Amino acid sequence: MNLTSPNESILKVQEIQSYISHYHILEEVTFEVPRGSIVALLGRNGAGKTTTLKSILNLVTVKEGEIIFEGRPIQGLTPYEVAQRGIGFVPEHRAVFRDLSVEENLRIAERKKGDFDKKREMIFELFPDLKKFINLRGTELSGGQQQMLAIARALVPDNRLLLIDEPSEGLAPVVIEQMIEVIAELAKKSTVILVDQNFLVTSKLAHQYVIIEEGKSVDRGEMAELIGDQAKIHRYLGVA
Amino acid sequence: MKTKQSFLSRYKGILIFFAVMLLLPFVIGLFEGSNPLEVWNNQGRFSKYLEGIGIEIFILAIFALSYDLLFGITGLMSFGHTMFFAVAAYATGISLKTLGLPLWQVLLIIVGTSIVQALLFSIVLPRVKGVTFTMVTLGLASMFHIIVMSSDMIKLTGADVGLQGVPKPAFIDPSIERLRFYVVALLILVLVYIFYRRFIDSPTGRVSIAIRENESRAKMLGYNTTAFKVVVMLIASFTASIAGVLHTLYQPIVSPTIADLGYTVTGLLIVLIGGIATLSGSIVGAFVIKILDLGLRGIMKDSAPLVTGIVYVVFVLFVPYGIVGSLKLGGLRIKEGWQMLIERFGLKKLFEKKK
Repeated sequence: MNLTSPNESILKVQEIQSYISHYHILEEVTFEVPRGSIVALLGRNGAGKTTTLKSILNLVTVKEGEIIFEGRPIQGLTPYEVAQRGIGFVPEHRAVFRDLSVEENLRIAERKKGDFDKKREMIFELFPDLKKFINLRGTELSGGQQQMLAIARALVPDNRLLLIDEPSEGLAPVVIEQMIEVIAELAKKSTVILVDQNFLVTSKLAHQYVIIEEGKSVDRGEMAELIGDQAKIHRYLGVA
Repeated sequence: MKTKQSFLSRYKGILIFFAVMLLLPFVIGLFEGSNPLEVWNNQGRFSKYLEGIGIEIFILAIFALSYDLLFGITGLMSFGHTMFFAVAAYATGISLKTLGLPLWQVLLIIVGTSIVQALLFSIVLPRVKGVTFTMVTLGLASMFHIIVMSSDMIKLTGADVGLQGVPKPAFIDPSIERLRFYVVALLILVLVYIFYRRFIDSPTGRVSIAIRENESRAKMLGYNTTAFKVVVMLIASFTASIAGVLHTLYQPIVSPTIADLGYTVTGLLIVLIGGIATLSGSIVGAFVIKILDLGLRGIMKDSAPLVTGIVYVVFVLFVPYGIVGSLKLGGLRIKEGWQMLIERFGLKKLFEKKK
């Protein structure tokens, strides 16, 4: 049951510091994600964007700070407990299960029996190719189809927050356009945190942005404002 | 979308195998001049010998199936898998010989030991992965091997000589009721295979495959992967234990060689030769290994193990998907080639199914 108002933050990340092995990767990252919005995490390669997503899921060690999802702290929970709270993750590199069929890849994401059957129509409307290739194995799909499947899988359970990492990586421009449409459609049903090196993708989709540089969140605001500030874009993202 | 198949069509292959293996002793009997009644009454000669080889193959196949579930399906490479088999074999022998328990009580003990062992192996599951897990399991099994071989245990285990003189329950004594033992072992193999096939097709089975492919990804979907691995470990342990019970009931000696690394490697080879993660490959692999072993021993005597080793290495190098895996892959290519031919020669309409 949704007890929070639509404008309230669904996620608050407060001054988190994360480590991979003994390396201090995130030094101080702070941001909030309003419910129903798309927030883009921006920054150069190695800035700590993916580590921020992994910190939310507790896939890396968060030693300091607080992560609050729907009013409750989630740091210290195991990754599967975080997922069970309603956070879906679409990792980079088209993370489908190669030996499972398209249908099995979708069914495995069920948190309650019948989750997939309830959303079958919606998913196949968003991703018609998946319906066509439902019996093919993950390995037999093209890169774009695998990416679509990875996103579709995160839609099967009732996730209220989706973390999508590099969805356009290695995809043809035509497929990227499709992807943008799909993510825009997803945002109507779920809040999204988006990481993508392709600024064209994030600028088209996101309502808000957070810039991460060398493990610190250095700037955040409305995406529309950032698009108009070429100097800032050049300074932090190196995009002309 | 997958349509629901009937039981018969779904398990056609294994049911045909069951029927063929059931009839085989009687067919062999006809060739050697024994009528079916004589075979039924265990009076055949060569047919009885073949039943013995069949029993050994079925036991090996059950053991290999359990290893395929653990390693092939779930990706847990244990080098201590033989411990499940050996503990059950020794527990059966000691319970029958030293404690004088009836078989049904022995089976209860085996259920208990298989659960305890699976939980023992599972303690390390959340903490270690990959090669470390392999080494920890090897360590556990080696400890058991040392205990079995210890001279202090000679009264119970027979130490390096092995456990001898285990009394066999009369109704399944293989020296008297060989055909019955053969049918029971075959039936257990078929039931284990069907259960495993159903397990893989179940949601839990799909999660096991997902764990093998990428455990972090499975966790990110909300699965407590450790719990799933414990379930697989329990099933594999129980199955290997059943093979261990059959081994003791069939063999005159429970030799300590079944507790060392070599026996786990035998299971691994069977799986690799038959086809990893295919299940049916475990049955095919068990036949190949046993027949190869018997054939080479007959021809080459003492140098047979060396040649067997070379054959295994060549096989693993040149048939990496195993027999069943390669056949499945071949089957796929035949289908693709057939489609290509149909399209190239414009025969699509001819082969299209009538709606």
